[in-house]
Amino acid sequence: MAIFPSKEWLNGLEEKINSDERYAEVAKNWEGDLFFHIESEGNLKEDLTFYLDLWHGKCRKVEFKPDASAYPKPAFTLTASYNNITAILTGKLNPMTAMMTMKLKVSGSMGYMMRNVPTVLDFVRVAGEATEEIL
Amino acid sequence: MQPILRINLTTGTTEEFIIPKEWERDFLGGASLGARILYPFLTKELDPFSPESPLLFLNGPLSGTSGPTTGRFVICGKSPATNLWAESNIGGFWGPELRKAGYDGLWITGKSPSPVFLWIEEGRLEVRNAASVWGKDVYETQEIVKEEIGVKRARVAVIGEAGERGVLYSSICCDNGRMAGRTGLGAVMGSKNLKAIAVYGTKKIIVAHEERYAALRSESNRTLKQSNETRYFHDVGTAGMANFFEYMGSMPSKYYHQGAFPNVDNISGAKMAESILVGFYACQGCVIACGRVVKLDDGAKRKGPEWETIAGFGPNLLIDDLAEITRLGELCDRYGMDTISAANTIGLAVHLFELGKLTKQDTGGLELTWGNFMAVRQLIHMIARREGIGELLSRGSRQFGAAFDAEDEAVQVNGLEVAYHDPRGVSGMALSYATSPRGACHNQSDYFMVELGHIEERIGITYFDRHAQAEKAANVARHQDWRTVSNALVMCIFATIDPNEQVNLINAACDYEWTLEDMMRSGERAWNLKRAINNRMGLTRANDKLPKALLAPYQEGGSAGFVPDLKSMLSAYYESRGWDLETGKPSKNKLLELGLLDIASDLAVNYSSSKTGS
Repeated sequence: MAIFPSKEWLNGLEEKINSDERYAEVAKNWEGDLFFHIESEGNLKEDLTFYLDLWHGKCRKVEFKPDASAYPKPAFTLTASYNNITAILTGKLNPMTAMMTMKLKVSGSMGYMMRNVPTVLDFVRVAGEATEEIL
Repeated sequence: MQPILRINLTTGTTEEFIIPKEWERDFLGGASLGARILYPFLTKELDPFSPESPLLFLNGPLSGTSGPTTGRFVICGKSPATNLWAESNIGGFWGPELRKAGYDGLWITGKSPSPVFLWIEEGRLEVRNAASVWGKDVYETQEIVKEEIGVKRARVAVIGEAGERGVLYSSICCDNGRMAGRTGLGAVMGSKNLKAIAVYGTKKIIVAHEERYAALRSESNRTLKQSNETRYFHDVGTAGMANFFEYMGSMPSKYYHQGAFPNVDNISGAKMAESILVGFYACQGCVIACGRVVKLDDGAKRKGPEWETIAGFGPNLLIDDLAEITRLGELCDRYGMDTISAANTIGLAVHLFELGKLTKQDTGGLELTWGNFMAVRQLIHMIARREGIGELLSRGSRQFGAAFDAEDEAVQVNGLEVAYHDPRGVSGMALSYATSPRGACHNQSDYFMVELGHIEERIGITYFDRHAQAEKAANVARHQDWRTVSNALVMCIFATIDPNEQVNLINAACDYEWTLEDMMRSGERAWNLKRAINNRMGLTRANDKLPKALLAPYQEGGSAGFVPDLKSMLSAYYESRGWDLETGKPSKNKLLELGLLDIASDLAVNYSSSKTGS
């Protein structure tokens, strides 16, 4: 467990995903990489990116602060302000509420996302559990 | 707003009704204004099928202005299904066309001695013989009527065979299968021997502050187009949430007796997008385009089913074949029948067949087993023609259940069949269904969307756990008020726009200076008015209930073990509404606070507790 956002946090999340049995079961059919764009706000002084490649209940790769050009066609690009993403991670903001109120902007196949809501929700659970502290 | 054209089909007379300015200001338009206009005429004694029974087609102040999802209109009257207030709104292009023809409403009474259709062109009315279209389906009728009047660009609102024959859940259709499905107003139209209403006009639709409005609507449409919800409604349609609904146990299966449907992938909006979807359909000015165009094995393009049709003919009947569900929905559409009520009533028949309360002798030999879509198809034909068991089914689930001594098995509220959002999965729907002015309706408050996360904190609609109980009652009431505004405007509830934008659009279109609270107060006023209408037609607190099935816990799925505590929810709800806890009627103080002085006097004098027995 580590402080969000940090490279250690992202590595910890990768480890947590790959050892979490419930996530492995719920997300066994998920195929899609995620590119996160966190907009600076509050304690986050500049915009931040991180990347996760999720495949069949496992995490195949992560990268902290990648350039968007390194991943030109991720399955999903998720954009949120720092305060909103931390609210999601700490359970103060329901991830579906965040999506529906545009506090979390989603680019990618909405059909695939909606078909896999249990996976999305469980990913948020795992990410929350991998978060010890917020910056 | 423009005048309403009053048409008496018995006498053939017409007159223009000028909407009082104070009614426009207090009730905006659409269903709210309709309630104000019809209040004196909707009595307990009124037979919805009598010539005196009014049928009011009405626009809202934003109809046809190319504002966000504002191509809609509403139809109001007294429901033959519930004997209560009826309203049903509908998209397509008909409402805006009526505006361009010079009217914002049609108020129809009387009964023609023979089938007719109305033709309104640039403010002129003709009553024409409908012999050529009587008995035709809703799509054929539109085409024939356009051919007869010689104006291909006309828009035509029609009923099908179900409406002609008085099926209590008959719909009114326009354009490509846009349906005013709920509360059976298609049967009221049929009872007047009125088959169709064609409209055409070229008049410019005027708003008070054109430039201001144009800028606001452009910005609002731009924002709407970019929203996540718009994208999934467009990409995967209203059935795009099927997996989510199933996951939460809010998708009723096996006539509300099974809390999980493992084959949900086969019937989801995503599945449709990957298989039979070939195009999209949008109502006038809409940037969402949630309408589906699909192609089946016969190669013909047709309307694709939306969520309620998919859930009703799918999980509800344990059918998981999307193509077959599409055909069943189309059959109902062609006959002009509401798919929610049709599928629900058929579901009750299958359920009673399983219980042994209904036999092959009753069904004319049909095996009403789960998943038997051939039998369902046959039943739809029989209902529309009111043949055999179809005659009983055509009266809706409440009467059908009663005919087999099983009224309590019918999943309906006050005669309107429950839609496919289960309150055991999303508890707020318990109040939505129990207190809706038109029976078990999901559109007077689509509170399930709030439960999924669509909150609106700017107007005080916040998030509660989906299984929270009485603590969410005031939130539900607030949401109902907001949706009442949408139904007054008449704006689609799929439009996820900022309420501030909504009030700005109203102010620019109507030359008001409303605040958000003024807008919400307008919704609350109309909600209370509709309640008062129902009170005077005999509704009491005892009507605010849920059917037995929804109060028994599921054994499986995402809502297993949970039931809403309706009694405590209702008490909290009445309290938040300022309604009498004993009678469920709006208190005099509440009505006065809302400026409904005459309604308060009327309820107090003519419809006191002792008189209605509540």
